[in-house]
Parts: sequence; C-alpha cells; structure tokens
Amino acid sequence: MTDNKNSKYSKNYKLSISNPKLFDAIKMTIAILIALAITFVILCLISKDPVNAIKTILFGPLSKKRYIGAVIESFISFAFAGLAAGVLFKAGGFNLGAEGIFIITGAVVAWIAASPITTSPILHPVLCYLGAMLVGGILMILPSFLKAKFGTNEMVVSLMSNSIYAAITAYIVRNWISTAQRGSVSSKDYLPTARIGYLYEPLRISACFILLIVVTIVLYLVMNKTKLGYQMRIAGTNPKFAEYSGVSAFRLSITTAVIAGVLCGMGSTTQLLTQTSYYTPAQSLVGIGFSGMLLSMLGKNNPIGIVIAAFFIKYLEQGAAVLYFVDGAVPSEIVSIVEGIVIMLISSQYFLRRLRERQLLKEGLEEHAE
Amino acid sequence: MQNSIFSTLFSMRFLITAIRLATPIVFAAIGTFIAASSGIGNIAIESIMTFAALAGVLGSYLSGSAWVGVLTGIAIGIVTVMLIAFFSMKMGANAMLIMIALNTFADSVAIFVMFLMTGEKGTTASLTTPILSTLDIPIIKDIPILGEIVSGQYVLTYICWLIVILLFIFIYKTPTGMRMRACGLNADAARTAGINVERLQVLSLILSGIFAALGGVYLSLNYLKIFSRGMVSGQGWMGVAANGIAAGNYWLLILAALIFAVFRAVSISFSSNSAFPTDLVNAIPYFAVFVILTVVSIVNYYRVKRGKVEEH
Repeated sequence: MTDNKNSKYSKNYKLSISNPKLFDAIKMTIAILIALAITFVILCLISKDPVNAIKTILFGPLSKKRYIGAVIESFISFAFAGLAAGVLFKAGGFNLGAEGIFIITGAVVAWIAASPITTSPILHPVLCYLGAMLVGGILMILPSFLKAKFGTNEMVVSLMSNSIYAAITAYIVRNWISTAQRGSVSSKDYLPTARIGYLYEPLRISACFILLIVVTIVLYLVMNKTKLGYQMRIAGTNPKFAEYSGVSAFRLSITTAVIAGVLCGMGSTTQLLTQTSYYTPAQSLVGIGFSGMLLSMLGKNNPIGIVIAAFFIKYLEQGAAVLYFVDGAVPSEIVSIVEGIVIMLISSQYFLRRLRERQLLKEGLEEHAE
Repeated sequence: MQNSIFSTLFSMRFLITAIRLATPIVFAAIGTFIAASSGIGNIAIESIMTFAALAGVLGSYLSGSAWVGVLTGIAIGIVTVMLIAFFSMKMGANAMLIMIALNTFADSVAIFVMFLMTGEKGTTASLTTPILSTLDIPIIKDIPILGEIVSGQYVLTYICWLIVILLFIFIYKTPTGMRMRACGLNADAARTAGINVERLQVLSLILSGIFAALGGVYLSLNYLKIFSRGMVSGQGWMGVAANGIAAGNYWLLILAALIFAVFRAVSISFSSNSAFPTDLVNAIPYFAVFVILTVVSIVNYYRVKRGKVEEH
C-alpha cells in the first residue's frame, strides 16, 4: 500500500516494472504463461494432437455463442463464492465454511422456490434470495464466533460444519421437500415464477449478472473507502497493529462472516435459480465453496480481481469441456492444474523479485546520475 | 432399539472396526503433531493422504508389489511437503494459503491422474492391484479375546502403533527431537542457541509427510483395497483436530484420535440400521469433532481467564 503511494507521488513516474501495479500484472501474465506452458507439456504426453488441444482450451469457448453463454451463466455464482472467501481472507480469517453454506442455503432456496407464496415472477426470486442470504449470514457466524471468542481452531471447526450442514441438508431434502418423481433424492420442481429469466437470451445474461456487478462495486468501495474496509485490511496484514489501534477483532470477524455468509447465499440462489429446475444435494463436499477460496487467492482478495478470475477459470473450464467433447483422452480436470500453478506462483512474493529489484536499482542509479 | 444399540456398541466386531478405523486418523494426528512440534501448522494432511492413497495403488499396480506401492505413496508424500516447504520458505508464499490450495486441488488432481491411468473418474477398481495383507501373530492369536483384537489386524496398523512408540521416544528422548521442540516453542531462541531451525523444520515436515502418506496408503492398500474419489473424507482433518485438542500433549493426541475413530465406528455401525436416519448418522464423526474441539477450547478459554483473574 505504501509502495503504491510512493510511486504515485514520485517525481518521475514511469510505466515500468517498478510500478507495483504493473509489476503485479506482469507477474500474473508470466504465471499464466508458465502454467499454460506446463499444461502444453502435459497435453503433449496425453493427447495425440496437443497443438489443437491447447487451442481448443484457449479459444474453444469463443467458437459458439452457446459456449460463451454457458461461461457467463456459470461464472456468476462462482464469483459470489470467490467474493465471500475474499471478504474472509482479507480480514485474516480462515473460516472455510462457504461450502456448507452453499449447500444448506440450497435447501432454503429449493423450499421457497417450490412453495406458492407469491405469484409475482419478481418477488418470488427476491424472496428466495432474501431467505438464502438470511440463513447463510446466520450460519456462517458459528465458526468465526467460536474462533473469536474461545480461540477454537476455526479451520477445523468450519470444515466439520461443512459436513454437518451437508448432512442436515440431505436430511431436510429427503424428508421434507423431496418428490417421488425422480429416482435420486431431490427437491420438488421450482415453480415457474421462481425461475430467473434471461435479459439477453443468446448469451444467457440474466438479472443476476447485474446483481453481481453491483455487489462487486459495493464490496470494492467498502473494502477500499470505508472504515470497515480499513479495519479489515489492517487486521488481515497485521492483527497486532489492528488490536493496538482499537479494532475489535471480535466484532470484525463476526461482521465479515455475516457478509461472507450473505454472499454465499446469493451465490447459491443464483446457481440454483438460473442453472437448475430442482435441487439435488451434493454427494461430495468439493464444490463451489472451496473453489471460491482459490478465486480469492487468484484475485488477491480484490473484488474486481476475483470476478475477473472467476470468468477466467470458468472460461478455461468451458474450453476443457469442449476439448473433452472433441478429444476424450483429456479429462476436464486439467484446468485445476493450470489454476494450481498460477496460484502457487502469484502467491509467491519472491517470484520475479530479482527482476524487479534490478529495475529499481537501475532507475535509482539513473536518478542519482541526473 | 436400546438393546440393539448396546449389542452393537459392546460387540467384538465394533472394537475391531474401531481399531481398523483408528489407523489413518492416528497417522494423520502424529503427522500434524510432528510438524506442529517444530512450529509448522501442517494443514495439508488431507491432500497428502489423497495423493499418497492414489500413488500407492498406482505404484502397486505398476510394480506388482504392494510394498513398492507403499514406498511410492511415501515418496509422493515427501514431494508434496517439499513443495510446501519450497513455496513457503524459498518463495515467500503464505504457507497457509498454499496448503488450502493443495487441499482444494487434491481431489481434481487425483481424478485427473486416475482418469489417465484407468479411463475412469470414480475408483481404481478396474486395476488388479496387489494389496497388503493382515498379519496373524503366532502365539497371541490363540488367546481367546486378546487374540481376536491384537492378532489379525492389517500390517500397516502394527507399523502405525510401532511408529507411535518410536515417535514418542524421538520427540521426547533424543537431542534432535528436543531441538525440534525448541524450534516450535521459540524459533528465535533456538536460532540463538545455534540450532539450524529451517533444517529441523524441513525434517519435521518430511516426517509429517511420511506419516500422512502412510495413512493414505493404509486406506487404499489395506482398508478399502482400491482408491476411490473422496475416500479420505475428512480423516486428515480429524488428525489436525486431534492435534488442536492435544495442545502439545502426545498421549492426549493419541487418545483424541482414538475417540474420533470410535465415533467413525459408531457412524458406520449404525448407518446400516434403518431405525436411524442415514443422512444424519453419516455426520456423527464430524459432529463429534466439532463438539469436542469446541468444548475443549471453551474449557481452555475459561481456564486461562481464571488464571488471569487470579494474577491481578
């Protein structure tokens, strides 16, 4: 942060690697290139036509409107999961409960969406959102509260809460809102009024897209322009400093947990009302909630970065899906290898550090010579 | 119904199930403990177990020997912890984030590799894999009750309990172990005393990786005899939780791991009983960890608080 200010006010401000923002961008680009290079090597080993394979991953989604529409539709709920993780991580919390919240709020949405409480096609989705946000916000508090009050290991507790919430969800869906129509355990079909329609059908853009943009901007402003955002930042970078400057760690962790839970509720509702017509509780626990944490690492806890990262990942996943359709030898999980390498590299502070230091030294010497 | 609960809980089969289920959790627990003793919170246990479980099956399948499989699993465990050490110590990355990322990726990476080897994304059942056997101990096996419990367990279970004893001696009775604990207590003081902190931390991480890998290999080569997606299902985290409860007390750690194993056994014994809702019974072990961890931290909180009040 201070780095940033220095460069902004320094006399000879240049567009060079010494500018931290530009340096971050360069670092990200190089990390992505390295990841793609490694992916290409892997593709060489497993695919008969690796050049075409990497081309399909990178440009396949652009080949049809339907593909890019699928990216747009699926990245929104994914981005919400990332934003939730971003809020928690930014304030230095390690509450990993997003997965459980996504699952259990799914049951709430399925219940509201299947009940004839209103005939308005606007009010019905809104009620679904409100219900999920309320439940999500409340349930997310538990691990953060235990950590803040009693020093419980919030990571373990939140992971256990994921499994517990998933079990409760399975129980609720099976016993309260299930239907005999289908073989698997799933909820009743949502009423037509609850489904969210498209504003622009070919690209599958719905009102959720606008919601995401609004939420992202609000979060960006909260994180960067408000007292709460400042508190989150200092608590995340230096908890001791935050404590001595009078930030209540307890209140902060509860607040961020509520915000994250509400965001998870939004993400879950978006996912269900746009992509499904009934709810099937997840069988395994490795889903959108966990991927959200990766997004927050990719986007460096910056809301706008997270949303871009969400689009990037969903785009690659779509590319991999197209590739799997063309060439069955390459499983779509290859995307997680790209993701993994990029995350490891950009979270490394020393990655490309020498390059930057050399440039700073050179500029310093030049300045001195003048 | 009460009768059936009691007859299930106090049967010989239940006890044997619990002992079998304890092995991976104990491995995970000592893996977390050894890393924590040098001051590193290894939360990647779950992912190491997943990787090692798959590597064990593949190594065993490719070589035709289950023991080579075990070694492959251990090798992958070491590679994973070295990756963590490299990024956190040499590249200045946040170790916590690297480990969370690893845990999140573990399943997809395992599925990716499994698909390349078998063409399936669910299990490695299609591979004919040599597996590890159970071990009958000659004289003990003929003793009525004791023989049934002590003899006839899986090989890695015996190795596990041997390691538990050896590790205790290593950590508390050898100079290296004591230096390691010194790093965990106060790294700066240890450094001042001439201890190479980084080297000991890497050593403890490697040991941690080996133990976690053995836990994973046990699941795929001994207990389930195949690798299937999501098979670790939180057992690595139970180890981490046991470490959190133990707060540096080795035997409390083992006790906590055993208690978690008993709850897993309860869950498995009752999941086939139609009198209970299966969905909720499956969550019993997680609920137990949640409650025990929470209660222990609340007790500790009030103990510290009372201590402070007395000081004033």
